[in-house]
Order: sequence, then structure tokens, then C-alpha cells
Amino acid sequence: MKLTIGWLYPKQMSTYGDRGDILTIYQRCLWRGINVEVMEIGLKENVTPGAVDFYFFGGGQDSAQIEVAKDLQRYKKKALKEAAEEEAVFLSICGGYQLLGHYYKPHDGVELPGVGIIDVFTISGDKRMIGNIMIESNVIIPQRNIVGFENHSGKTFLGKNALSLGRVIIGNGNNGEDRTEGAIQKNVFGCYLHGPVLPKNPGFADFLIEKALGRKHPELKLKPLDDSLEILANESAAERTRKNP
Amino acid sequence: MDPRFLLARLASSSIKSTLRVFGGGATAAPGLAAEYIDPKALSKLTGHLSEIILVTGTNGKTTTSRIIGSILDKAGSSYIHNREGSNLTRGILTSLFSNTSFFPNSEKPMALLEVDEATLPSVISQTSPKVIVINNLFRDQLDRYGEVDSLRKIWHQSLRNLDSSTTLVLNADDPSVSHLGYGSKARVVYFGVEDTKVSLNKAPHASDFTSCIVCGGELVYGRVYLAHLGIYHCANCKHKRPKPNISAQNIRLLGTEGFKALIDTPEGKFEIKMSLPGLYNIYNCLSAVSCAFALSQPLAKTIQALKGFEAAFGRTESIEIGGKRLFTALAKNPAGFNEIIRTVFSTNKKRFVFIAINDYLADGTDVSWLWDVDFEQLKGKVEKIWISGVRAPDMSLRLKYAGISHDSLNTNLKETLEDAYTLLPQGETLFIFPTYTAMLEIKKILAEKGYGRRFWEE
Repeated sequence: MKLTIGWLYPKQMSTYGDRGDILTIYQRCLWRGINVEVMEIGLKENVTPGAVDFYFFGGGQDSAQIEVAKDLQRYKKKALKEAAEEEAVFLSICGGYQLLGHYYKPHDGVELPGVGIIDVFTISGDKRMIGNIMIESNVIIPQRNIVGFENHSGKTFLGKNALSLGRVIIGNGNNGEDRTEGAIQKNVFGCYLHGPVLPKNPGFADFLIEKALGRKHPELKLKPLDDSLEILANESAAERTRKNP
Repeated sequence: MDPRFLLARLASSSIKSTLRVFGGGATAAPGLAAEYIDPKALSKLTGHLSEIILVTGTNGKTTTSRIIGSILDKAGSSYIHNREGSNLTRGILTSLFSNTSFFPNSEKPMALLEVDEATLPSVISQTSPKVIVINNLFRDQLDRYGEVDSLRKIWHQSLRNLDSSTTLVLNADDPSVSHLGYGSKARVVYFGVEDTKVSLNKAPHASDFTSCIVCGGELVYGRVYLAHLGIYHCANCKHKRPKPNISAQNIRLLGTEGFKALIDTPEGKFEIKMSLPGLYNIYNCLSAVSCAFALSQPLAKTIQALKGFEAAFGRTESIEIGGKRLFTALAKNPAGFNEIIRTVFSTNKKRFVFIAINDYLADGTDVSWLWDVDFEQLKGKVEKIWISGVRAPDMSLRLKYAGISHDSLNTNLKETLEDAYTLLPQGETLFIFPTYTAMLEIKKILAEKGYGRRFWEE
């Protein structure tokens, strides 16, 4: 069995430790005897729909985001739409999440168009939302208490076709207004959770792995791992969040 | 006499003595009070000072200022240095108020100021610095700064208004820093490394500047020295690394023992051996030499100062206790931590390791950065590893995904340190990598046991 990860713009969009999400998927597969290949997909490179089971798209700096937005339109948009239609799994964080939505509208300057595979749009806000965050996840995700760290000024709003990833318990979430955090549409997931999100929320990681492999192996049920350290880190982060919101 | 300024001065000094009585370090609160009473206090203080030197950058501020300080010592210049460690405006005010003489006709000292990256523009606008040293810019405390590139833009904005009475000392190898010299009316001195032997095979993951600041094109690196520092040019426009005026050549990295290098300056070349370990310390040394050059200090004094230099507290410090050594290196961001790993694990000798991660304000409340550090390099090179600090579980988890299992996980720093010291065999070294507040805690634990001086007295 093999999982192919497509890592979008690892150079430009990996400022906040999001590489940990790739490492988590990678190791949790290897520990179960599942092979993993990580394909780095950079600027000017094309995407072959069908070749990738799991796309990862992390957060970067505003300047990088402008460059990446142009590249997406020119080299990748069509193929990524096709992949989303075919139910490939996407996990996008922060800037990556914004660019998989319809658009990002800055205060001044040109609107950045997105890929449009999640029904969300983002407008730039006045204050940066920075801090520990804790959410109660959407019921479809087996892990209910998800912890992370948010650092964004964009405010994202959900359209009709997107569900939220969860409800904010502590923190700001999508926009600091409606208590939602993240979005789900088909197998496309987006959120503002750095931390990184997957190591400390192993139930969410396994849920994504199962979904990504499930397209070729519908009967698959992942073997449980010893997650005592992951759970300890989750609980300690939750405690820090309560003390230091 | 300016009554507001006088009140600010009085408040600063009385709070300072009160705090000292209660045993605190008193490095920020007095200045904070002064800043509150007189927001223009810093600008008014400059009238009592001669030349002002500002030192900033993500990594190396403290070590660089200390080297500059020792050069000024050798040259016999009197100066005030905010060496207590608080580098925000309030800490700078605390130092200046308590060390400035307000008697008329007294000799005006120079000011050597370590300045927090985000505080730099406000300090520049309130002082007329003679020299501004900028070492580097890496991802660090993103919970405070938001992102790295916005900090660079703020710097660029504030440096644009300088004139030729100021000299910018800039790292040629860091594209985000070298770019600050373009179009500036200030004098510019560039420093950099000219030795391909010490370059890496490929850029580490934690690279903050991958595109050209001028045109947005892709930056191509002929050599990478560390993080995004190296010899670069833009694939699209003509922008490239400026030729350094002061450089290090023939470098020999001696692991944790230090380095040897040939330093080339417009006033001549000299060989130097320093007990500061790692390539990052060569950069610190280069920027200090460049600052001395900008101040027209005689080269002979600079060389003498470098030869007699010892490291600043906790930055890379080694002490011996009962036949066992403790080596401490501050680890606060991916670029710094990666370089420490490169330095300490440069041989195949297995090390005893102690990592302490806190997430208080001074450390940065976001521990995501641990996943940008290449801990995979430690695999097979660790004899025993203790993990502590309030975010110890996060650190242990990071190691687990790097394929390394911890021997001890305990958020109580004191207990863990005692445990590690007891289990450390005679003659061995414990390599301690703490975040900033964890380093202060360790310092305090050792001071209570009678080792090491209290940090503000150093």
C-alpha cells in the first residue's frame, strides 16, 4: 500500500512549522508499514491529477502568497479542481487555505484569485489574530478537541457549500466573529491551525490518512498506534491555551 | 530644566533601587515608568551622550554588542551598554538613566545599544545613531512580529531617512539585510563570508527569503552558509549579493571549541582564533569588526580585543561543576537551533543532551517553530536526552517524529536538571539548549547552588 503526498510550494509556503503536518502523515504511515512518497510541487511545475492522494498546502508570508497566487492560476488551478472533483484529500493551512477558496481581498491592491475548491472567501482584517486556539471539531472528525496556534490577519467567511471544521472554544478562528474555524468541502480541508495541527491531534491525522487511502482501499481500517505522547502534548497545549489564550 | 524629563529620571532611579532591594533584576520596569512619564525621554537623553551605536538582527545581538564593547574597552572609550539584556525602549532607558552623568561639563559617553528588531525604527527616530549594525533576519517570535518580511519592510522604511552621518553595517550574505543598503544615503559597510568550504550542500528547510526583494524573481544560491545566508543572485533581474568590505576567509570550525579564520579588512588582514563556536559567531565577529572600522578604531586594538574575548552569559557558555561540564547554548529559533546542532554534533561522538522549551512572552508563545528545526540530524548522535520546560511534551513529540526517543520528560526544570547532572558520568559534558526564559531559569538554579554570577551583575 502506498500514499502519495503532493506538497504544494514547500519553499514559499512553509513559514510556521507546517512541515510538521507532512512529517506526521509520513511517519504514521511508515509505522503501519504503508509506503509514502512526498512529491514537492514548486513554482512553474504542473500537477498531474490522479498521481497524488493527499495534497498539502501550508502557510507563508504575504509577499510569497502573491507570487504563489499567480502561479496557481497559470500552472495548477485546472488540475487541482479536477483532483478535488475526484475526491483527493487536501489539507490547507492559513495562506494555503485562503488560496483554495474563491479569493483574498487585501485592503488596497489587487484581489488575489484562489482555486475555488472550497466555498470560502477572505478579506484582510485590521488586526492580526494571533494566539493559541482550541476548537470542538465537526462530528465527522473522530478527534473532537483540536488544538493549534493561529496567526493571520485575513478574515475568512464560509459560503453555503462549505461546512466548518469546528466551533471555536478559545481563540478567533475563521474571522473572529462567527465562532467558526476552518472549512470542509468534499475531501478538501482548510483551517488556520498551525502548531502544527496534525502531530498533537493524531485522530485528525489518521482520519485524513484513511480518507486519502480510502479511494483505492475502501475497506481500510488503520491499526491503532501508541499515541500517549501525542495525547499528552494535546492536553498540555490545551492547558496552555486556557492559561494563555 | 525640563520638569517632565526630571520626573522620568527620578521615577526610573527610585523604582530601580526598590526592585534591587527585593532581589529582582530591574531591567525594564524603571525605564517603563520613565517612558510613561516622558515619551520623549530617549530623545532628550541623547543630548548627554556622544556617539550612539545600535545593534540589531534576529540572532547575535548580545554577542556582537559584547565584542564591540570589548573593542571600545581596548580603545579606552567610555560607553554605556544595555547589557542587562532588555532591548526594548524601556530597557534602553533603564540603562541610560542609571549610567548617564547629568552634571554639566562631564564627559559624554558613547551608547552601545542592543535593540529589539521591532523597536529599531522608534529608537532610530529618537536618536541620531552613528552606526547601525544589522546582523540577520530570520523567522523568530512570529507571534509578536506576525511575519518576517513585514519586519524587513518596516526597517527599510525607517532606514530610508538616514543621511551620510550614519554608517549602516550590513550582512552581505543575507539578502533581506543587504538590500537595506540599496538607495540609502547612509554610508554602508558590508561584511560576509568568503569561504566555500563551510557551505552546506543544500538550503535548510527554514529559509525565509527565497525570492528577490527587488523584482520577486527566484533567488539562486551558488552557496548556502546557513539558513538563507549565502552567495546569491536573482535569476530574473541583476540583483546580487554585494561584495563584502570585510570578510572571513580560510575558516576552520573547531566544533564547540571555537573557530579560526583570516579576517580581511580594508586596513589589512589578520588571523584570529576565538573560543566562540559555530559559523554564526564568525558573523558576530565580522559585524563587530565592521562596526569598529566604521568608528575608525585602530585595527590593532580590535585584534587585541578579539583575542581576549569571552562569551556572553548563556549564549554559548560552558562551566565546570564537580568534574562535569555544562555547555549552554541559547536556542530560540530554527536558524539558531540548526546552527547549534551543526556545531555540537559535528563529530560522531554521542552527546548528553538537555532541551528546555518554554512558551512565555519572551520566548514566543508559539512553539510551531520546533518543527522547522532539523532535529533529524541528532539521530544516532545522542547518548541520553532530557526534555524539560513548560512545552516539554511538544518537544518530545517533535523528537519522536524525528525518530529519536527521549530518556526523560519532565516539565519541572529544576528536577530535570538535577536528575541530568546526577546521571551525567564524570568527565562528560551536558549540552543544554534552552529557550530564553528557560535559560534564565537555569542560570538562577545554578546561582542558587553557588555557580555563576547573577546575570545583571556580569
